[in-house]
Amino acid sequence: MQTKIAVIHGPNLNMLGLREVGIYGGNSMQSINNEIAAAADPLGVTVEFFQSNHEGELVTFIQQCRGRVKGIVLNAGAYTHYSIAMRDAITAAQVNVVEVHISNIFKRETFRHVSVIGAVCIGQICGLGAQGYILGLKALLCERLPIEEPS
Amino acid sequence: MSTNCFLVISGPNLNLLGCRETSIYGGSSLEDIHQALQESATAMDLSVDCFQFNLEGDIVDCLQGAPEKYSGVIINAGALAHDSYTLRSAIGSLLLPCIEVFISNMDTREEFRHHSVIAPVCLGVIGGFGKQSYVLALEALANLSNQ
Repeated sequence: MQTKIAVIHGPNLNMLGLREVGIYGGNSMQSINNEIAAAADPLGVTVEFFQSNHEGELVTFIQQCRGRVKGIVLNAGAYTHYSIAMRDAITAAQVNVVEVHISNIFKRETFRHVSVIGAVCIGQICGLGAQGYILGLKALLCERLPIEEPS
Repeated sequence: MSTNCFLVISGPNLNLLGCRETSIYGGSSLEDIHQALQESATAMDLSVDCFQFNLEGDIVDCLQGAPEKYSGVIINAGALAHDSYTLRSAIGSLLLPCIEVFISNMDTREEFRHHSVIAPVCLGVIGGFGKQSYVLALEALANLSNQ
């Protein structure tokens, strides 16, 4: 049976390739998604992609991942730094989440150094560009994950 | 300079992995981690040299000599991540891509561990995935050197 993993892009990530390419690179979100899907396929993983600019839509989607996917690779964009609602959604979903950032957030403005979702994720990958998503997906395939699937 | 050889450095107390606070750091010993790295390196047709140091100055010496032999560095600085400006300077002047790794998720732990003084001079950070943090970092460096 195929393993299902969700890849979630938060606000402004639909503008990848057009927005601050010096920081985020020249790849569009669609081309990054294509790369992720191509890497996932030989691993027996089906990827469900979701992007929203709206915090509430992201909360709802994360909730709906409960019991439905093996894990989530989440780039929450700027919501990373202040959305307690997303943090609560991750906890409520009882799903293993890897936090991913394209850029190295620690090289940037101080307000980006804090992640309010980090403590409810299993780990973080940042600064490695689009391949951070693929590494995050692979991290979710390891044998023992902290959160067991909800019954 | 070899284009296919990477340096892996583990800092203070990581020699105690497998017998120290296993609920946080897991049951893998440092030797297990080095073995996983060697296996992954072989599969990717590259090589790794893995070292562990408890002494800050030894890490600095090792980093300063790295460009002669390696094309990238993976560093788990242990607690030095949070206070060693000396290490930050050594990495900052390295001229090699360096990825910071952690075994545990720093954000779930004490406040003083939430801040790394070396992260801003590293290419990126991978943390929270146990020994796999190291293996994923090696894959990231290998992909970068192929680009």
